[in-house]
Amino acid sequence: MNALEIENISKRFGDFYAVKKLSFKIPQGTIYGFLGPNGAGKTTTIRMMMNIIIPDEGSIKILDRKMDEKMKERIGYLPEDRGLYPKMKVGELLLFLAEIKGLRGSKAREEIDFWLERFDLSDWRKKKVEELSRGMQQKLQFIVTVIHQPELFILDEPFAGLDPVNTKLLKDIMLEMKEKGRTIIFSTHRMEQIEMICDNICLINKAEGVLEGNLSQIKKQYGKNTVVLDYDGDASFVQSFPEVEKIDDYGKFMEIKLKEQSNPQDLLLKLVGKININKFEVKEPSLNAIFIDKVGVKDEKDTVSH
Amino acid sequence: MKKILSVIKREYIQTVRTKGFIIGTILGPVLMVAIIGVPVLVSLISVGDQQKIGVVDLTQEIFVELDKKLDHRLNDGRRRYILEKIKLSSDIQEEELEELRNSLRNEVLNHNLSAYLFIPGNILEGESAEYVSEHTTDFDELRRIDEALNSVVIEIRLKGEGLDPQKIAKYIKRVGLKPIKLTKRGEEEDTGGTFMYSYIFALILYMALILYGAATMRGVLEEKTSRVVEVILSSLKPFQLMAGKILGIGAVGLTQFSIWGFFGIFAFRYGKSLIPPGAEFNIPRIPGYIFIYFIVFFLLGYFLYSTFFAAIGSMVNSEREAQQLQTPVIMFLVLPMLLMIFIIRSPNSTLAVVLSLIPLFTPILMFLRVCVLLPPFVQVGASIVILALTVLLMMWLTSKIYRVGILMYGKRPNIKEIVKWIRYK
Repeated sequence: MNALEIENISKRFGDFYAVKKLSFKIPQGTIYGFLGPNGAGKTTTIRMMMNIIIPDEGSIKILDRKMDEKMKERIGYLPEDRGLYPKMKVGELLLFLAEIKGLRGSKAREEIDFWLERFDLSDWRKKKVEELSRGMQQKLQFIVTVIHQPELFILDEPFAGLDPVNTKLLKDIMLEMKEKGRTIIFSTHRMEQIEMICDNICLINKAEGVLEGNLSQIKKQYGKNTVVLDYDGDASFVQSFPEVEKIDDYGKFMEIKLKEQSNPQDLLLKLVGKININKFEVKEPSLNAIFIDKVGVKDEKDTVSH
Repeated sequence: MKKILSVIKREYIQTVRTKGFIIGTILGPVLMVAIIGVPVLVSLISVGDQQKIGVVDLTQEIFVELDKKLDHRLNDGRRRYILEKIKLSSDIQEEELEELRNSLRNEVLNHNLSAYLFIPGNILEGESAEYVSEHTTDFDELRRIDEALNSVVIEIRLKGEGLDPQKIAKYIKRVGLKPIKLTKRGEEEDTGGTFMYSYIFALILYMALILYGAATMRGVLEEKTSRVVEVILSSLKPFQLMAGKILGIGAVGLTQFSIWGFFGIFAFRYGKSLIPPGAEFNIPRIPGYIFIYFIVFFLLGYFLYSTFFAAIGSMVNSEREAQQLQTPVIMFLVLPMLLMIFIIRSPNSTLAVVLSLIPLFTPILMFLRVCVLLPPFVQVGASIVILALTVLLMMWLTSKIYRVGILMYGKRPNIKEIVKWIRYK
C-alpha cells in the first residue's frame, strides 16, 4: 500500500505555477526525501498534502483515502515556519494541540506525560513557552508533531536550524517511527541527510518533478563514472583532461564526473606524480552532484545547444 | 465542531487570564463612575476662590443694587464676588475713560482684579455691558452676573415706569415643565436619565466593538508572527480557526459585561446609601429589554467588525501596518458616535431611520434609537436581519482573505491582490 499518492497536481497563483503536473508515490513504511532548490514548489506541495491549500488540478490520496479534514488527525506535520504560542504554558499548549488532532482527555494527558518525560521537559510543564531555550522549543515542536501517533509524517525542512543534539534526536525519532511501520516524507537541501536515511526521493525544480524513484536505483542509472579524489597540491589542470566532463573542486577534495566510455584508470595514471593523492575512489555520483546536474547545469546545456 | 470548541476554549482562557482583561474589567466601571461622579464631586468639594471684580458704573445707580443681588456664596460661606466700585467724576471725558479702562486692563492682567465690568451710561436703553476678563469660559459665572445685572436693570426700568418690581416679579414668575416619559409601563419623570443612559450604553458599545475587534486582530497577527498558525492549520480549517477565535473573544466580552452587570445590580441595590444626601442624583430606571438589545447589537456588531479586524490581522506583518489598515474600519465606528446627539434628539426622523438600517451603523445607531424611543418592531427586526445577513456575507468574504493572508509573509497586499486571493480555489 502507498502511504501517499500524488497524481498530476498543479497549483497556480495568478499566472505563476507554483507546482505543475507533479506526481509521485510513497510506499508505506519508508522514508521519502523531497528535494529541490529554494522556490521550486516544495512547501506549496507539502501544504497541498496537508489540505492547507487546495490544488487546482490533480488528486492527492493519503493512506488510501482521498485527503480531507478528517485525515489531518492521522498526519504529523512539521511546517517549515515553525512556531508555538509564546504566552501559553507548555502543558496547556500540548493539550490544546493534541485536542485539535482529535486526542482528548486522559489519553492526551498520558501522551503528554510520556513525551515530556522522554525529552526531559517534565519540569517545564507549567512554564510559559517563551521562557524555554531555543533548543527546548525545538524539542517541544517535535512533541507536537508526534503526540497523536500519526501514521504519516510530513516534515518540511525538519533539520533547518537544529543544534547537533536535536538533529540526532530528530533523526533517531524518524528511524524509530520507520521501525514501527510509519511513513515519513521530508524536504531538505541537505543531501548527505537524504543519502543517509532516505529510501526514495523526488527532486523538483521550477514547479515540475525532474527525478523520482528509489535512491540507489537512481544512482545506478547515473553509473559508476564518478571519481572522488582526496589530494594535496594544485589540481586545477584536471579540468583540461579530455575524459573529464565536469569537476567539483573543494581545494583538498574533488568530485570528477567522467565522460562516458572513459576509463578512470587513465585518469589515475595522469595524476600520479603531479599531485599528492590521499584517496582515489570510483563510485556512483553523490546526490549533491546529481542535484546540481539536474537543477543547475541542465539549463546551461540548453542555452549552449541553442 | 469539537475542534472549534477547543479553539474557543483556548482563546477564552488565555484572554481572560491576561492583565489587560483583568485591569479592563476593574477599571471600566471605575472610569464610568469617574466620568459621571468626578465633576459632581468636584463641584461639591471645591471651595473656589473669591473673585474681585471692578465695576465701572457710568449710570451711577446700578452698582449698589448689583452688589446686593450678586450675593452668591462659596461652599465655606464667604461671598463669591467682591465688587469694587471704580470711582468716577460725574462728568468724565472720553479720553479719561479710555485711560481708566487701560489701567483696569492692567489690573486684570496683573491679577489684582479677576475681571472688570463696564456698565455704559445708556444701559437702561438697551446697550450691552462688558465683562472683561482673562477667563470667559466659566458659563456658570457668566450666567450669574448676567442674571444679576439683568434683574437690576429690569427693576430700575420698572421703577422708572412707576411699577412695583416685586409685584411684577410675581406676575412673570416662570413655571416648570416636567418631562414625563411615557412607555408601555406607564409614566415616569425624566430628568435627563434617558439621555444619560443612552449615551453611556452607546459609549460602552462603541468601546467594546473597537477593543474586542482589535483584540481579534492582534490575536490573528500574533499567530501569524509567531508562525504557530501553520501548525494549527495542519489540524483544522482556516475558517475554524478564525471562527473559534472570534467566538472565543466574543465570549470574553460577554463575560466582562456579565461581571459589570452583576456589580451594577449590586451597586444599585446597596449603593444608594453611599450617595451623599445633599447630591440630587436620580438613578433612572432602565427598561430590561435594553440590556437584551445591548447584547444582541454587541454580538452582531462584534461579529461584523471582528471579521474585518481578523482579515486585517491576516494581511499585515506588524502592529504598525495593522494600525494603518484599521483606521478606515474604525472610521465606520466613529461616524455613528458623531451622529449620536442628532439621533438622541430626533430618533424617528427619516435620516435616523435610514442611517440605522445601514449594517455598518446599525449596531450603535439602532441600539441608540431603541434606548431613546423604541422604534416600530418592523424597523428593529429589519435592521437585525440585514445586519445578520451582512455578517454572514462578510464572514464568507473575509475568511477567503484570511486563509490566504495568514500564510503570506512579506509585502502587504494591495486591493488587486486581495481580490485575487478571494478568487483562489
